[in-house]
Amino acid sequence: MKQVIVHPERCVGCMQCMLACAAAHSKTGALISAISESPRPRPRIHVGAGRYDEGFPNRCRHCDPAPCQMACLPGAIYRQTTTNTVLINPDVCINCASCAMACPYGVIRYHADPLAPADKTIAVKCDNCIARQHKGLIPACVEVCKVGALTFEEMDAAMKKKTDQVARSMSAEAIAADHAPGFSLLNTIKRAQKEINLSR
Amino acid sequence: MNYVIIGNGVAGVTAAEAIRQIDARGQITMISDESHPPYCRPMISNLLEGAVDVSRLPIRGPDFYDRLSITPTLGSRVTSLDVNARTVTTKGGQIFAYDRLLIAAGADPRPLDAQGLDLGGIFFMRNIAQVQEMIAALADTRHALVLGGGLVGFKAAYSLLKRNIGVTMLIRSGYPLSMQVDETAGEMIQQVLCDHGLTVRTGISVTAFEGGGRVQTAHLSDGSQVPCDMAIIGKGVFPAHGFVPTDRIDTDAGILVDDHMATSAPGIYAAGDVAEHIDIARQKRWVNAIWPEAAAQGRVAGFNMAGRALAYRGSLSRNVIRMFDTDVMTAGRVSPRDTDETCRFFSAADHRRQTYRKLVFEDQILVGFVMINQIEQGGVLASLIQSRTPVKISAHHLLDPGFNVSRLFDR
Ligand SMILES: Cc1cc2nc3c(=O)[nH]c(=O)nc-3n(C[C@H](O)[C@H](O)[C@H](O)COP(=O)(O)OP(=O)(O)OC[C@H]3O[C@@H](n4cnc5c(N)ncnc54)[C@H](O)[C@@H]3O)c2cc1C
Ligand code: SF4
Ligand code: SF4
Repeated sequence: MKQVIVHPERCVGCMQCMLACAAAHSKTGALISAISESPRPRPRIHVGAGRYDEGFPNRCRHCDPAPCQMACLPGAIYRQTTTNTVLINPDVCINCASCAMACPYGVIRYHADPLAPADKTIAVKCDNCIARQHKGLIPACVEVCKVGALTFEEMDAAMKKKTDQVARSMSAEAIAADHAPGFSLLNTIKRAQKEINLSR
Repeated sequence: MNYVIIGNGVAGVTAAEAIRQIDARGQITMISDESHPPYCRPMISNLLEGAVDVSRLPIRGPDFYDRLSITPTLGSRVTSLDVNARTVTTKGGQIFAYDRLLIAAGADPRPLDAQGLDLGGIFFMRNIAQVQEMIAALADTRHALVLGGGLVGFKAAYSLLKRNIGVTMLIRSGYPLSMQVDETAGEMIQQVLCDHGLTVRTGISVTAFEGGGRVQTAHLSDGSQVPCDMAIIGKGVFPAHGFVPTDRIDTDAGILVDDHMATSAPGIYAAGDVAEHIDIARQKRWVNAIWPEAAAQGRVAGFNMAGRALAYRGSLSRNVIRMFDTDVMTAGRVSPRDTDETCRFFSAADHRRQTYRKLVFEDQILVGFVMINQIEQGGVLASLIQSRTPVKISAHHLLDPGFNVSRLFDR
């Protein structure tokens, strides 16, 4: 299964992915018309300055298990196993922001969304462009990134193992399996560090 | 293997699901005195507000018990537990034998010490039934009294204000949410509520209620009176372990559990609001009666009960509250009663944006924060507290609402 992989060290901070993401999640699906839509389509990937003012594309990691899923009060957050994507059901979401408190990456935003019930403020985050994927397209952010900071590829086994390990260590309950010493040592920040080193 | 789970709240539900992941054949019995399907307890305040109806509250499909082959015994209260015989007994005299028992009985509202509590119109707010009674009484409610400025009192007040009912909140301490936030944040929160019509009186409590059948007047500790036709008691909760033999199972405020959510008695586990484990920010035993911890503890308990060793790393007190256009998020140690001279504080306020942030550090370890508005990245801070990672960058970066996660990483 292909996954979006972030290579932060390649990012030049051009924010093209943010525009492409907003357009992809608009009603019309095109940048020019999306600009005048209401509600205004907003990006689900957030490029900010890193420690040395380098770019850093921050998006949902679709953690497994997902801390946001466990914190969601009405159970609006679920995993689509076929695409390994953590999704939010806009009809069920009550905009309680419990997930904001759980997401170690701070990638969930709260606003009306063109694809949700009208005028309803809900939690919104990356959905791996599953609608585009159904049409055989790749995620919009990847398509538009010209420097390869975002790629869509098969995760190799080593990378998958690392990601799962760290995701587990990061979930609200720590999941430190006694028979696998060392798991518990990995934590959120280490995961992110690993992610960065790994992608170098 | 014969599993018995007391309580069908989120801790009991996640435990049953974890057991079934590992043990497809064991017998699971779930006993609860509430007969609703498993539901989202925090959302009873949305129910009171009128924002949702009861059909929106279940957290699992109607086939939950069937799908997981659980034998539910609902509307039935456990009254005793025999550690030697390995049985629990319900009020109706039914006896259930167990190999593994999970106590996930949640918490009960703390009672109020006042006269006239038998009058109509006086409520606790812990379950659907209580809120449905409140809703039935709303038609002839002009003015409500909310006792306590904690999370539940606060949500009750908010819901009633949204229904255009006048609300007076009585708080024994100096400001609302005093267990969760500092004074500055507390006052900002109070201001927002007052702007929307709430009357707050601090340093005061009720001594007696009076009325003919239904409550009409409350007598207060300063000798004054307030008219009210509804009163909601929100004085906090305490773990519901009244049926537990405390000479056989170690209990403090809650039932003491180890990293595997096991109690001191063989085969008996506890999870959720009833259990007491370690608080990560405080580094001591603590009951954190919140939803995400109940869900996580239930899961860990379930895995361990079914034989997969899994450790829980401790809980973190945290809450997020949205009221009108103001958002409040808080975690760990922020309240003056939780901090001391070993703590370092960093704060920033932006009056134009109506934001406030305060971080509490012990050495390089973040142990608490409160933020008002622009809360989207609060989870990053919460995970810093949970992981106890030394923060090497300037705290001022963390105070910036737009700070980027990658600032935290050495590259
Ligand atoms: C109004 C309100 C708002 C809240 N808002 C939030 C929020 O925003 N965020 C948050 O994190 N948390 C919130 N909470 C707290 C949250 O609801 C609890 O932490 C959570 O529900 C605990 O789950 P639990 O499974 O441990 O217990 P419970 O949900 O209390 O479930 C326990 C069940 O066991 C049953 N039971 C108890 N004793 C017995 C017995 N002897 N025999 C049989 N059955 C028994 C009870 O009736 C109950 O059904 C709120 C709570 C309330 C009341
Ligand atoms: S916790 Fe954050 S990064 Fe992980 S799945 Fe949820 S939203 Fe995505
Ligand atoms: S804001 Fe929505 S998705 Fe997030 S925890 Fe609340 S209900 Fe779940």
